[in-house]
Amino acid sequence: METNLNIILAIVIGVLALVFAIIAIYHKKLSVAIIASGAVSLMASILFLLLSAPDVAMTEAAIGSGLSVIIFFYALSKIRKQHD
Amino acid sequence: MIKKLTFLALIAGFGYMLWTGLAKYNAAESLNRISSYYAQDGLEEVGAANLVTAVVVTYRGLDTLGEVSILFLTASILGFFLVSGKGPKIPLQDSSEILKTASKLLEPIILLFGIYVFINGHLTPGGGFQGGAILASALILAYLANPKEGINKSIFRITESISGVVFILIGILGIVLAGGFLDNRIIPVGSIGDLISAGIIPIIYIFVGMKVGAELTSIVTNLKHSPKNNVE
Amino acid sequence: METLEIIGAFILLSGSIFIFLGSLGLVRMPDVYNRIQAGTKASTLGTLLSLTGIALMTPSWWSRLLLLAIFIIITNPVSSHVLARASHKAGIKLSKRTVSDKYKAYNQAKEEAEHGNES
Repeated sequence: METNLNIILAIVIGVLALVFAIIAIYHKKLSVAIIASGAVSLMASILFLLLSAPDVAMTEAAIGSGLSVIIFFYALSKIRKQHD
Repeated sequence: MIKKLTFLALIAGFGYMLWTGLAKYNAAESLNRISSYYAQDGLEEVGAANLVTAVVVTYRGLDTLGEVSILFLTASILGFFLVSGKGPKIPLQDSSEILKTASKLLEPIILLFGIYVFINGHLTPGGGFQGGAILASALILAYLANPKEGINKSIFRITESISGVVFILIGILGIVLAGGFLDNRIIPVGSIGDLISAGIIPIIYIFVGMKVGAELTSIVTNLKHSPKNNVE
Repeated sequence: METLEIIGAFILLSGSIFIFLGSLGLVRMPDVYNRIQAGTKASTLGTLLSLTGIALMTPSWWSRLLLLAIFIIITNPVSSHVLARASHKAGIKLSKRTVSDKYKAYNQAKEEAEHGNES
């Protein structure tokens, strides 16, 4: 029973990650795309946790959905200010 | 039209390739030779309660060194290109009092958590990379909360260089005193599960954590200071 | 043991209801500031309630859950404050039904005071 629930949860999270990835590619606003890419790595980290790889999940959550989003936003604000 | 058709054909071919791979796939019933060696003898040989750490730091320590040096290369290339760029001076706005106070409250907690993660890397899930990333997020929070304060960038450069050199020196010490490069049995392994155990692994992880934290922070500080921001 | 688990499950359920209401507010509210308010207040209460429920269901986890709760209590209001301030500074308009904008009035008063000092 428990493994079945885990599999269903894993499938739902995988589909959500796919949706976020498509948003990240096709959305016209860059800021939305950055947030969507952060959400992709958040979903990936939950998937890693479900597949019992907590080490990889921690790395993905800290770097993928935390730091890289901050760095992208920093670069984006820099570009916008230089264009003005 | 032709472009789209070729695109569709490419996607179909790619899907077919993936499908054939998936159809032949069946999960391995038993571990292969290397994995079973790690699973059976790794615990006694390395003495780390978290077997992933044993594989990452000792058996595949050279790969970890490669990852750390790739990160170093990225940080230094970013610094090189961003510092030489020219641009208009951007006026900075001071952040609010609430954010400053809250960041002062939060930074020590986050720093402590990062240090916990990389010191306990051989016992619980975690390790140098994760702990370093958490350290870097605390430092970045400090910068974002106080945008007008200057940054002493040389601290990060010095920390990073010293930790990298110590990492490689420990590896060479492994050749001299024990079985090979990055062998962890330089100092006695100790009993499995203690904080001071698993030989040299905790010390290596402390330096990896400091190095990763310094590198990730220096990427953001370079972005912040790039176009003559602090050069009046 | 059994009764504690049942009480915990009910508290967990009420917490998830609050989180649902917060997400409904994110969709239904008219402008950014109202959305921030709905999202933060409801989700803070909902998360705290669900943490309490989990603590009642598995009492051995209470210390970690307490740490999580403290972290949420500190970070959630501050992040919503920063979001609201940044969107006000970026010039996002308030909804038409707003009656007063104290922050704008405060900024204007501050500017006037500075100009008065200069001249």
